Amino acid sequence: MDLKTDKRDDVVVLAISGSLDALSAPELADTISAQLGAGSVKLVADLAQLDYTSSAGLRVLLNGVKAARQKGGDLRLAAVQPNVKKVLDLSGFMSIMKSFPDVAAAVASYA
Amino acid sequence: MANQQTRVALVIGSGGVKCAAALGLYKALKREGIEIGMMVGAGVGVIYAALLALGLAPEQMADMGAQLWSHALTAKHKRRALWQILLPNVFGFDENFGTVDDTLLWERLRAAYGDAKIENTTIPLYIAATDFHNGEQVVLTQGNIVDAVRASLAIPYIFQAHRVDGRLLVDGSLSDPLPIGVAIKENANVILTLGFESPYQGKINALMRYSFQVSSVMSNNLLKANYAFHALAHHGEILPIRPQFQQHVGLFDTDKIPAIIAAGERAMEEQMPYLNKVLALAQ
Repeated sequence: MDLKTDKRDDVVVLAISGSLDALSAPELADTISAQLGAGSVKLVADLAQLDYTSSAGLRVLLNGVKAARQKGGDLRLAAVQPNVKKVLDLSGFMSIMKSFPDVAAAVASYA
Repeated sequence: MANQQTRVALVIGSGGVKCAAALGLYKALKREGIEIGMMVGAGVGVIYAALLALGLAPEQMADMGAQLWSHALTAKHKRRALWQILLPNVFGFDENFGTVDDTLLWERLRAAYGDAKIENTTIPLYIAATDFHNGEQVVLTQGNIVDAVRASLAIPYIFQAHRVDGRLLVDGSLSDPLPIGVAIKENANVILTLGFESPYQGKINALMRYSFQVSSVMSNNLLKANYAFHALAHHGEILPIRPQFQQHVGLFDTDKIPAIIAAGERAMEEQMPYLNKVLALAQ
């Protein structure tokens, strides 16, 4: 997994690429935790380049969205690719997380 | 009272006339000065979710609910439906199948909601239906309340599906009998839920009863699975409100609405001390 962080006004975009699994999920968990700890509670997960997510990845996303909402923010999804969307649908995540076709729309949704 | 950061949602799922208990919940909440920040409905629950969202007086809502949902709705059967079952190729069996004539349902929905729009309700309203082609939950947040409620009342085998914005929609309970996920997604902190398991058939002596039994088994297991997931996924608190009825309540027992409302009010009052603590913590 490769993880890049970009700030757009008060929204932090986490671009996650490759595979989000038990080996890579801790890095994303740490990054989300650090952002929330620093007061950045409006998060966007850019999944345009994410090919795969396992249950470990799902747990990190779930913990992330819960923690962000507890702080008055949110973790929103952008550009979810079909393979990953199937997993998110199957696990019920699409029913509780806001998803947008691209990063610009996800960032704009916080306005 | 909850502050601006605390959004209280009321989610009303399936349950026939038992959903009228929502009016009792509302009365108890109003007495405590607790405002509902969003209404979510699916199945028959949409009838009361929509009435509450319009901000009508409780007595008026009770009357309208009783007038809207009664046994007369299913009295007129479509003769063609039987032939569609027996000779599908001759009589054209398709996705618009339903055994009951929905003319009276439409009349009552129009009388109750008129031209009211979802986006103009006093309390934000979310109506959950199901896309009949792919099973996805469809959350309607704008357009005519009449169309949205009709879609979510498209109970399989009984009322035909209804097309909204190009999508053929059926009963919201098919994708989620208690759509808590909608409230989670819309950032509600405290979610009050009112939903009932689908009744099982006392006697399975006809094809329709057999079908309803299968539906109930699947629907109730879906309810449990979704509830478990939402309980784990929510960042705040979900409070199931469980009215206890003194006697059996059938799908259309509108004469029992006063007792159902009273049961809802009692159930909410029992949870009130805890709810007040939760809201105080959230401030």
